[in-house]
Amino acid sequence: MNFRGARWLVVITGLGLTGALLRWLSAPLLLHRPAADRPDVRAETFAGAMGQGIALGIFGGFRPLVADFLWLQVQDRWEARDLGGTLGHLRLTTAVDPQPLAFWLNGARIIAYDMTEWRLAGLTRGDAMSESVGKRIEAEQARMALAWLREAERFHPGTPVLQIERANVQLNRLHDVAAAAASYRSAAELTDAPYYAARLHAELLRRLGRKAEAYAWLRKIHPKLPPNDAAAAAGLVLARLRGLEADLAIPPRQRYRAD
Amino acid sequence: MTAVPFSLRRVWLIACVTALEAARQRVFHLVLVLAMGLVLGAHAFREFNFGASELKFMADFGFGALTVFGSVLTIVATAQLFFGELEHRTALTLLAKPVWRAEFILGKIGGVMAVVTVFCALVTLLLLGTLYFRQQTLLAEHPELSESARALDPMAIIAVGVAHWLKFGVLAALTLLIASFARTSLYAVIVGFVMLLICHLHPLARLASARTDSWLLRGVAGMVSLIFPDFQLFDLSASIDSVGAAGAASLIRLVAYAGLYFSVLGSLAVYSFNRREL
Repeated sequence: MNFRGARWLVVITGLGLTGALLRWLSAPLLLHRPAADRPDVRAETFAGAMGQGIALGIFGGFRPLVADFLWLQVQDRWEARDLGGTLGHLRLTTAVDPQPLAFWLNGARIIAYDMTEWRLAGLTRGDAMSESVGKRIEAEQARMALAWLREAERFHPGTPVLQIERANVQLNRLHDVAAAAASYRSAAELTDAPYYAARLHAELLRRLGRKAEAYAWLRKIHPKLPPNDAAAAAGLVLARLRGLEADLAIPPRQRYRAD
Repeated sequence: MTAVPFSLRRVWLIACVTALEAARQRVFHLVLVLAMGLVLGAHAFREFNFGASELKFMADFGFGALTVFGSVLTIVATAQLFFGELEHRTALTLLAKPVWRAEFILGKIGGVMAVVTVFCALVTLLLLGTLYFRQQTLLAEHPELSESARALDPMAIIAVGVAHWLKFGVLAALTLLIASFARTSLYAVIVGFVMLLICHLHPLARLASARTDSWLLRGVAGMVSLIFPDFQLFDLSASIDSVGAAGAASLIRLVAYAGLYFSVLGSLAVYSFNRREL
């Protein structure tokens, strides 16, 4: 081996040994970070974004700004009702910066609602006549939106608004009331969940005919609602409880706050 | 050179001269003005902010400027200052005297780091000031919101600035290692930027080595992830809200990671330069 080759070998061996030695030191450094900022979690979306010439945004530190400009592109494609362009730019935006929830939430709504309308509007008269085609498109878009939200939850685990959005899609597009009720419940059980998630869970249970479950749920949540917070709507929840007590013919003594 | 013992004083003198030279370079003035201009102008770009809070956006923008221009400064200044000595033959004159090559390399890296330190400190302090004034304006405009709702922890900002500085230290040592092999400063600068990219894409190499079925690709990706330092570890700006929660232990780990890489890369640069024909 010549002199220069030996130098390379020593350098590469030295760096390799250092890399192996420092693995134990570097691994815990990522653990405290939010999932949306963990390079190991983001690596797959990184790979998708790299081919599109936006490396500067990824490694240069201007990630949020690049993502914002890409979001403008999403709006531009959305106005043109360009399904492929909108979806591509949505994916690119969240690949560059998966932190802002607004990108994920608006993306899910665009996929579930707007894209369904675009596809339906593009159908020929014959296809449009067929109700089953419309339902199939609606279901396809809803499933795509749910997959999008699952991806969002990888970066933002335990975020109530994402679970509420999932419930909304399940309810309004898949018309799966039971699944929506379960999603509202899982949202309601998270910290910082908005009060309405719990109310919607009960309302859907009532709609499914599971009134006893709805009653038990409302009895559980009502004592925790702050009476002076309009968003908590403690009075409304109490009214629902009374209505369910009447429906379920609960004896007066067993009623909630019977005294 | 073994006739005289290794001297930290000579390292210091070379570092001082290098720092003075670096501070006189146009590239330093240019990147400093551009970075500070971007930090000051971050407020003007807030119309393009759709996802994060205004102060977070401004902080991200400022750290973006620090990353880009700090990387440019580190790579270009290291390569230019090293090859400047070789091209002007001053290195020959210097090394003909009782000066170790290790002292020369350590002095060079010390001088570059002094300039990078000034750059990081100025940009981080300016960013801190800009964020403070904007926060005060926001509080005056929206007194109904609590201060804690919109404040960014100054210690977290400083911690992110320090993390960038650590990264530039590793990058300077890496560039010097490349320069110890290279024949021209242009080659060192180009390879330096390629290395910067590879170090930032470290997670991709790890992913590829874990996922691919091809043993060749797995081997190459595994080697890349083993050989190069992971610069994503230093990018704390996106998770600035959780920097405080991470605690001092994480920052100490980061300092140890950077320090060990800096030492190894510096030692390898010394080794390589010792075996270089001038």
